[in-house]
Amino acid sequence: MRRITSAINTASAEFKTRAACNRARVAEFREMQRAARDDRPERDIRRLEKHGKMRPRERLELLLDPGTPFLELSSLAANTEYDGESPGASIITGLGIVSGREVIIHADDSSVKGGAWYPLSVKKIVRCLDIALENHLPVIHLCDSAGGFLPLQNQVFADRYMAGRIFRNQCLLSKAGIKQLALVFGQCTAGGAYVPGLSDYNVIVRGTGAVFLGGPPLVKAATGEEVTAEELGGAEMHTSVSGTCDYPAETEEEAIAIGREIVQQWEKPKKWECQRDDPVPPHYDPQDLYGILPDDIKKGFDMREVIARIVDGSRFHEYQPDYGTTLVCGFANIWGWKVGVLGNNGVLFNDSALKGAHFIELCNQNNTPLVFLQNITGYMIGREYERDGITKDGAKMIMAMTCSHVPKFTVMCNGSFGAGNYGMCGRAFDGRFMFAWPNSQIGVMGGEQAANTLADVKAAQMKRNGEEVDDTVLEELRETTGRAYMEQLSAYYATSHLWDDGIIDPVDTRNALGMAITSALNAPLGTPGYGVLRL
Amino acid sequence: MKLKLRLNGTPHEMDIAALKPDLELRIDGRSHALRETGGIGALRRARIDGEDIAYHQARSGNRAFLHLGGRNWIVEFVDPRDAAREKVQGSGDIRAPMPGVVVSVEKQPGDPVTAGDTILTIESMKLQTNLTAERDGVLAEILKSEGDVFEKGAIVARLQEEEDSDA
Repeated sequence: MRRITSAINTASAEFKTRAACNRARVAEFREMQRAARDDRPERDIRRLEKHGKMRPRERLELLLDPGTPFLELSSLAANTEYDGESPGASIITGLGIVSGREVIIHADDSSVKGGAWYPLSVKKIVRCLDIALENHLPVIHLCDSAGGFLPLQNQVFADRYMAGRIFRNQCLLSKAGIKQLALVFGQCTAGGAYVPGLSDYNVIVRGTGAVFLGGPPLVKAATGEEVTAEELGGAEMHTSVSGTCDYPAETEEEAIAIGREIVQQWEKPKKWECQRDDPVPPHYDPQDLYGILPDDIKKGFDMREVIARIVDGSRFHEYQPDYGTTLVCGFANIWGWKVGVLGNNGVLFNDSALKGAHFIELCNQNNTPLVFLQNITGYMIGREYERDGITKDGAKMIMAMTCSHVPKFTVMCNGSFGAGNYGMCGRAFDGRFMFAWPNSQIGVMGGEQAANTLADVKAAQMKRNGEEVDDTVLEELRETTGRAYMEQLSAYYATSHLWDDGIIDPVDTRNALGMAITSALNAPLGTPGYGVLRL
Repeated sequence: MKLKLRLNGTPHEMDIAALKPDLELRIDGRSHALRETGGIGALRRARIDGEDIAYHQARSGNRAFLHLGGRNWIVEFVDPRDAAREKVQGSGDIRAPMPGVVVSVEKQPGDPVTAGDTILTIESMKLQTNLTAERDGVLAEILKSEGDVFEKGAIVARLQEEEDSDA
């Protein structure tokens, strides 16, 4: 494969302007991430200390193999919700290595509001277990949650993708032979009791760990019986009387050590044989990405320059280099794994959509995983393009992408607007992992366009009602709706609602994709086949 | 597979006739037996057609630099993909790939341009796109100015005809 020849001039004024802008964006992201991880009310920290409990990230450090990477997912979940009172949605999830096995971790964050589950906490746990199901990854639950956040119970409990889904997923994981281990550090009450209850293995810490369907206050209210938490569902009782828990531990450290020993007994799954070469780092410095990404979302950049800073040796076999040039397609390797890359170099035309559909089919025939690099303002619109069948050509691309039996991965590199989001494997299309860069934006249309559309609708409404069209009213509407819309376009809003698996520093993209692909290969390939392609 | 290479600028053809027991290379139709016999770092030893030879070697991209018998040699491997690309001549017409509006004009008629230089920046579908020269040349005319709208395929700028097409 040929090395991409970069046309970037790192000494140019444009490069320096862009680099300064993007470095500032990444610094802001890093600070938000640090605060979400570490900043906690003094009261909560003291409460943990009083109970002799570790902070959740200290537990993680003891659990993970030393010197191995941990890819935290959705570190800024819920950052725009609940007045910021649920950093990371009070849940830590991520890919890591425990006793030499690739696992996914779900840890309740008891350093905030006792680890209570907010609606987005539940969404994050469900997503974590969906990842486990899709990629055949064993799960380690670190349980320490007060239970559902009662003031918002209407958004936590009853619906299809709410708390019940956690336990449903646990059952399906077990059925599929995908192992689960629960370490019980705190009280697992009501539904929460089923997390250890539905895990194949569990360990409970004496004194602080407890598992019961109803805690002591509820028991007293219901039957008048007075009982302590330890008597009702403590380590002693569950490991020697009820058999609900497997191993008692005297301390949290011991519980983690027992947990690591349990994982050591698990068989190591075979990965499916994706084509692999020896991994080599990119020839071009990934730090250049800061100067390549624009400071204004409207300005373009060549996605090949991005590819050159992600893939092995910056080598890329470009497919159909002179056809449908607004979609760059080609083969490359990431961490040695052979992948098919699709990256946007402009709006999708008929030819680029057809090329994309064709390339996706080639990758499926070749069992090559797909990597989508999104910077898409949509499919081209207008009379000529509709007459040429832009809708049905886009439909072909969406059909080929959706029905792919190879794993798909998406990186939100800049813009993601309109149907382009679909064709390029947006969140709804079951990509195995999706990461976003801090500069990225996502929405049904751009901010300006949305404000203008709303103003036009309002003007038409005024006319219909026989009112005079008031320009100042329209301008105000444009302004206020525009601002609200812009907030919702931001990567932080998207990641807050778990529309992705987390914001990452662009420089970390290669490693994030490398870990994601490596994890994804634990699950066998899907079944090949397509629906009806409108030809 | 025959490899093409240039030795101090002179083209040669080479293919591998055998790998064992010794490497047998056929260069411009003549066979040579070659075996590496050791070396440290850049200093290498080899036996070529029965004769022991010491040489220094360094590599950079597609090129190898040899110091042998008091002389320097540059060996370039010719990639057929590069060779083919060199022959392609871009058009002098700069056409709009899609309908849109001109955001800015970066060059003036009479300006010399090299392939890849931005002539105009256009905006279409919320995205700015740079329209670039496909070949080196001199800008003859720019047919659109800032704010102008255009249809797909419209010629927005032109390079001067090349005077000597054999150059």
